[in-house]
Amino acid sequence: MSDAKNTITDFVAEGFQNGWKHIDASQLDEDQTLETDVVIIGSGAGGGNSAEILAQAGLNVMIVEEGPLQTSSDFHMKEDEAYPNLYQESAGRQTKDRGIKIFQGRMVGGGTGINWTTSFRTPSSTLKFWAEEMSVQGFSEEEMRPWFELVEKRYNIQDWTDTPNANNSVLETGCTKLGIRWGKIRRNVAGCLNLGYCGTGCPVNAKQSTLVTTIPGALKKGATLISKARAETFEIKKGKIDKLHCRSMTPRGNAPGRQSIKIKARHYVLAAGGIGSPAVLLRSENKTLNPYGLVGKRTFLHPVNISGAIMPFRVNGEYGAPQTSYSDHYIETRLDNQRAGFKLECPPLQPMLTATSLEGHGKSHAEIMKQRPFLQVLIALQRDGFHHDSIGGQVFLKSDGTPGLDYQVSGYVWEGIRDAFLVMAEIQFAAGAKVVAPAHRDARLYHSLKEVKKTIAALDMEILKARLFSAHVMGGCPIGENPVKSVVNSMGRHHEVENLSVFDGSVFPTSIAANPMVSIFGTSAKFATELAKGLAA
Amino acid sequence: MLTRRNLLKRSAISGVTLLAFETCYASPQIPPAPDGMGHHFEFLTPEDRGILSKLIPVILAESLPSSSKKHEQAIKEVIVGWDIAVSGLPILTQQELRKLFSVLDSNLIFSLTPRLLTGVPGAWEDPTEIEDFLNNWRNSNPESIITGNELRVGYMGMVELTMASWYGNPRSWDFCGYGGPPVLSGT
Repeated sequence: MSDAKNTITDFVAEGFQNGWKHIDASQLDEDQTLETDVVIIGSGAGGGNSAEILAQAGLNVMIVEEGPLQTSSDFHMKEDEAYPNLYQESAGRQTKDRGIKIFQGRMVGGGTGINWTTSFRTPSSTLKFWAEEMSVQGFSEEEMRPWFELVEKRYNIQDWTDTPNANNSVLETGCTKLGIRWGKIRRNVAGCLNLGYCGTGCPVNAKQSTLVTTIPGALKKGATLISKARAETFEIKKGKIDKLHCRSMTPRGNAPGRQSIKIKARHYVLAAGGIGSPAVLLRSENKTLNPYGLVGKRTFLHPVNISGAIMPFRVNGEYGAPQTSYSDHYIETRLDNQRAGFKLECPPLQPMLTATSLEGHGKSHAEIMKQRPFLQVLIALQRDGFHHDSIGGQVFLKSDGTPGLDYQVSGYVWEGIRDAFLVMAEIQFAAGAKVVAPAHRDARLYHSLKEVKKTIAALDMEILKARLFSAHVMGGCPIGENPVKSVVNSMGRHHEVENLSVFDGSVFPTSIAANPMVSIFGTSAKFATELAKGLAA
Repeated sequence: MLTRRNLLKRSAISGVTLLAFETCYASPQIPPAPDGMGHHFEFLTPEDRGILSKLIPVILAESLPSSSKKHEQAIKEVIVGWDIAVSGLPILTQQELRKLFSVLDSNLIFSLTPRLLTGVPGAWEDPTEIEDFLNNWRNSNPESIITGNELRVGYMGMVELTMASWYGNPRSWDFCGYGGPPVLSGT
C-alpha cells in the first residue's frame, strides 16, 4: 500500500474549498428562487454523467441531490456510518410487502458512490429485445458501441487483472469444475488498493464514481450543486414545465426541512433513479406528465437470492475487490425464456451486511457469524421483465408523499429463484464447501448436495420466506416510440412535455440482465449529447 | 392486494381504548430500563429499553461476551445503537416501529389478545418464553388471513436492528473474526 499516500488527496473537497458552487440546502435559512438553463434531479450515474456533458456544451447547469455531499476523507470504511449516511432509508428500504430489501445510494454520486464498481455493457440480447418488442429505436449494439466506448474511457473501465479474493475464487473454481462458463468483471477504478470497501464509499478516490469524475467536470465548468434538497413537484403551465419545486432536508437528511427552493429552467432532466424519478412525476399530479398512467409501472429489480457456504479455508470476504467474477451461463442458456435466467456474482462480506442478511437469530445465527471468516456467499440476479408474467412493480406514494414500490414476484421468477438456490449450492459444494445454507426461513445448514437438493425442491418459494434483495431499480419511465406504451421517446425526451427528459435507469423497458451502471452511463451520454445540441441551437 | 386485517394496528388501537382497564387488571411488568450511558434517547422509551434488554440477549445469544460485566455493557450499547439507527430512519418507518413497541410494551394486549395471535411474553423475564415468542413470530405464515405478514415483518425488524447495532459495534468483531477496516498509511 505504498501508493496510498499519493492516492489519498481529497481533491473533491479541495475543489469546493477553491470555489466550486455548492449549496447545502439543510443549512439555508431562507426560501430560494433560482434560474438556470438545465436543472438535473439526481447526481448518480445518469445525473452526474449528463451534468458534465451539458455543462461542457456551455449550458448553465444545476444539480439537485437529496443526499449529502461527502467526499473521500468522510469515508471511514465503517458500516454503521455509511449505511445511514449514504443509502436510501439507511439501507433499509423495502418493497411494500417487505419481501425485498432495496439498496440504493443517496449521496452526491448516487449509486455510483456506494456500488461495487461492476461494469458491464448492456447485453446485446437485452438491446435486441427492446428493438423488437418495445419499439425502441437507435439502441442496436452497433449504435450503442461508440457511447459505451466513450463512457468506458471517461470512467476508466478496464479489465481487472489482480488475483480475485477467495470469495470470488470459489465462484470461479466451482463453475470450472461443473463446466459452467464464467468470466472476469471489468471495473471503473484507477489506482484501486483492493481494500474491499466500495460499499461504504471509496476512501482513496480509486472508484471512478460520478462524485470524483463527471460532477467535478461539471462544477469546473460553472455548474451548481445543491445537496440535501428533495425535488418534490413540477409546476406545469401551458403544457410545459414552468418550475421545479424542491424542499430542503433536515441536516440528518431523513425528513423534509423548512426551506422551499424553486428552480426555473429551460429544460428539466429527471435522473433520480427507478423509484425517485417516477415519484416526482406522480407527486406532480398532472395528466400531461402521465397521460396513460404508465409512470412507475414496469419497475424491475433483478431480485437477488443468496446462498452461504462454510469453506474449509479462510475466505475473509470483507477484504479485496468485492465483485470480480461472474457467470452468465444461466442467462445465455435461457434466452428462450422457457425458464427465468439469472446472473451469478459475489457480494462483499463485512459483518453488519452479513449479519443482517442471514436468516434467524440466537444460537444458529451466532454459529454462522462465529465462522464468518470461512463464509462464502453467492448471489443470483434474476433477469426480470422479459417474460409476459414478469411485469415488474409499481411505484406508489405513501401518506407523506415519499415513494414506495409494490413489487410482486411472479411465479416465473420464483422458479428462477429456486433454480438459482440449487445452482449456487452445486457450485459451492463443487468448490469444496463443507456446509451450504440457502438464505430461506425454512432452510438449515446442509452437509451434502443430495440433502440440500431435496430441501430446495420442497422449499416454499414465497415472499418473506426466501430472503430477497435488490441493488438495481430499473424502469418506471420506459423509452419507446409508441407514446401509449412508453413515457419518453428513444432519446429520453418526454412524449408530451417538450422541456422534460429522463436520463437514468428508470428509462429501461425491462431489466438490464447485468449490473446497470454502464447502461445508464451509455444511454445518458447519448441522450445528453443530443439534448445539448438542441439547447445550444 | 387482498384485504387483510392489520393486527398490529388493531392491537395498538385497542390498547388505547382499553387503557382505562389497565390499572384494574394488569400492573405493568416491563423490566427496568438499563442506563443509557449518557446517551440522550430520541426514540426508545424506558419501557422499550426494558424490553430490549431482555430481547437482545436471546437474539444475540453467545455472540455477546460471556463475562457478566461485559455482557451487560454490550446490551446497553446495542440499545443505544438501536436508538441511533431508528432516529435516522424515515418518520413513517419510525411510526411503524412505534406500533411494534406498543404491542410489545402492553401487558394488557397480552392479556386480552389470544396468545396464539401474538404470543408476546407477559413478564419479559423467562428467556425460554422470549425464545418461544420470537420463534412464533419468525415462523408465522406471512400469508395468514388473521395476522397478515405483520408478525414475520415485526420479527425481521427486531432481529435486523439488533444485528445491525451489534455487528456495527467493534466489540462484536472478535467474535466474528473481523479485523476491522484496513488501516491506510498516510492518513
